[in-house]
Amino acid sequence: MRPASSEQTPSVLRSLETQHSRGRASQSYLNGILLVLPALIVLCVLYIYPLVSSIIMSFVSDQGVGLHNYRKAIDLYWVDILYTVGITLISLAIVFVISVAIAGYLRFNRWPLLNFLYRLPLFIPFLIAGHSMRVFLAPHGILNILLTRITGIPELPGLAFNWVGLVVSFVWKQFPLATLLILGAFQSVHDSYIEAALNLGCSKFRAIWQIVLPIARPTVLVAMVLTFVSTIGCLTIPLLIGPSKPVMLPVDMSFRVTYFGDWGVANALGVISYLLVIVLSFYYLRYMVKKEET
Amino acid sequence: MQDVTQSNWLKRTILRTIAITLIGLAIVGPLAGTLLWSFAEKWYWPSVLPQEIGLKYWRTSLSGRSQVMDSLWISLVIAVIVVVIVTLVSVPAGYALARYNIPWKRILLVIFLMPQAFPQLPVFINMASIFYRYNLVGTIPGVVAVHVVISLVYSIWITTAAFKSIPAVLEEAAINLGASRLRVFFRITLPLAMPGLIASSIFVFITSLDEFTGTFFVGAPFIQTLPILMYTASMGYNMQYASVIAILLTIPALLFMVLLERFLKAEYISGLGV
Repeated sequence: MRPASSEQTPSVLRSLETQHSRGRASQSYLNGILLVLPALIVLCVLYIYPLVSSIIMSFVSDQGVGLHNYRKAIDLYWVDILYTVGITLISLAIVFVISVAIAGYLRFNRWPLLNFLYRLPLFIPFLIAGHSMRVFLAPHGILNILLTRITGIPELPGLAFNWVGLVVSFVWKQFPLATLLILGAFQSVHDSYIEAALNLGCSKFRAIWQIVLPIARPTVLVAMVLTFVSTIGCLTIPLLIGPSKPVMLPVDMSFRVTYFGDWGVANALGVISYLLVIVLSFYYLRYMVKKEET
Repeated sequence: MQDVTQSNWLKRTILRTIAITLIGLAIVGPLAGTLLWSFAEKWYWPSVLPQEIGLKYWRTSLSGRSQVMDSLWISLVIAVIVVVIVTLVSVPAGYALARYNIPWKRILLVIFLMPQAFPQLPVFINMASIFYRYNLVGTIPGVVAVHVVISLVYSIWITTAAFKSIPAVLEEAAINLGASRLRVFFRITLPLAMPGLIASSIFVFITSLDEFTGTFFVGAPFIQTLPILMYTASMGYNMQYASVIAILLTIPALLFMVLLERFLKAEYISGLGV
């Protein structure tokens, strides 16, 4: 009697359980969708729709459907396209060096003052960073007031309104986020790897370069992707302290719309800027989705 | 032996002092310049400090019916509306992303991440042309809509992280004791997630307060938020007014940073890409 019943009860229970959890699962599916729906609708209407429309409209011009806008965009702006990529890559390289250096130093040494200082520009908006740099780097700006005193040279060229000022401003605004992300990754590299290397006579510099950096590579790449995308798409800093020619792509897009009412070419430039980042964006999206799913 | 460590210590301190001075100058310099300009009534080249310092520009900016105050009010009203809308939308979404198995979750995550992964300017331009058809250009609702879509993404990520940090066991225990799911959410989950949700609201508030590019295309010239006014002043070389506004806009952000100092973990804001 006893063995038989103990054989039966669990199987009944099991089937009941699976039914129950299946019911709960489908209900939780539905609840989940309902809860996400408002956010999804907002993003689809206000983000995806304009995005798709920017791609479609880039193929439409007064000459009909085709590549006219692209031809015109490349004819008029090929210098600016190269300039944009160049400025972004130079800024990216400098941001990389500075943020790895600071993160590497802070990985080995506690230094609360530096830890606080480097984060200051993090929450300063691009617009205000641009304005502050305009004041700081102008020919008669704060930097030159100090430099002329120190060097004794009466007049120095300003760094604003040329590519140096542009790069300086981008680096100033962008390195804190990269440093924050990279330092986080560096700190999660286990001490034992580093200690093993140091015990074998490896220098701290080499330990960062050959051990910590490779282990932290995914996060470092994410930091670089975010820096690249937000630099290449930034309007305010080039407007405020960039030179008037050549200019970066966002300025061209903005002028194309506000001065010429030419949405076709502006959208073609927009699609070109999507294409410039698309490989990096895919890496970023894949990394973030994977991270979120685990 | 002691001499060696002592001279090492000395060398290190000197190097550190030089390094921090240079880094400090590079980071604080531009901000200090803006601060000085906001108090400068006269500042001619090549004086190191302004010849005349005073509160003139602060006083005129902050007096009752100045353009700055008008813009400040518009900015604050917009920011509050944006915070309310974004919170109402992102709290359920964050909770669902943290707790439920949602079908096509991958596509959802991609949509929620895309605004950060691609340049946003083309979207703003096209948003302006779509809004134009519905008479939303140059209106408060239009600007609110732009700010909502920009800050929603950040808010969803912070709220998701906040809900994920609460052990699901706590909710299950309450459910096993007979509480309904809704009751559990409002009595247990929500209070525990509150610090994260507040951080998210403040972040949304600041994002809206400081937003320029989207407002420039959708709102200008009729909706003069504080950043738009600052841009106009800076481009017109009204350095004092521009600097006063820049500082007004920077104070909330710096306060937020100090507030977050304790919670500002890399993994927490990695999704932000501020």
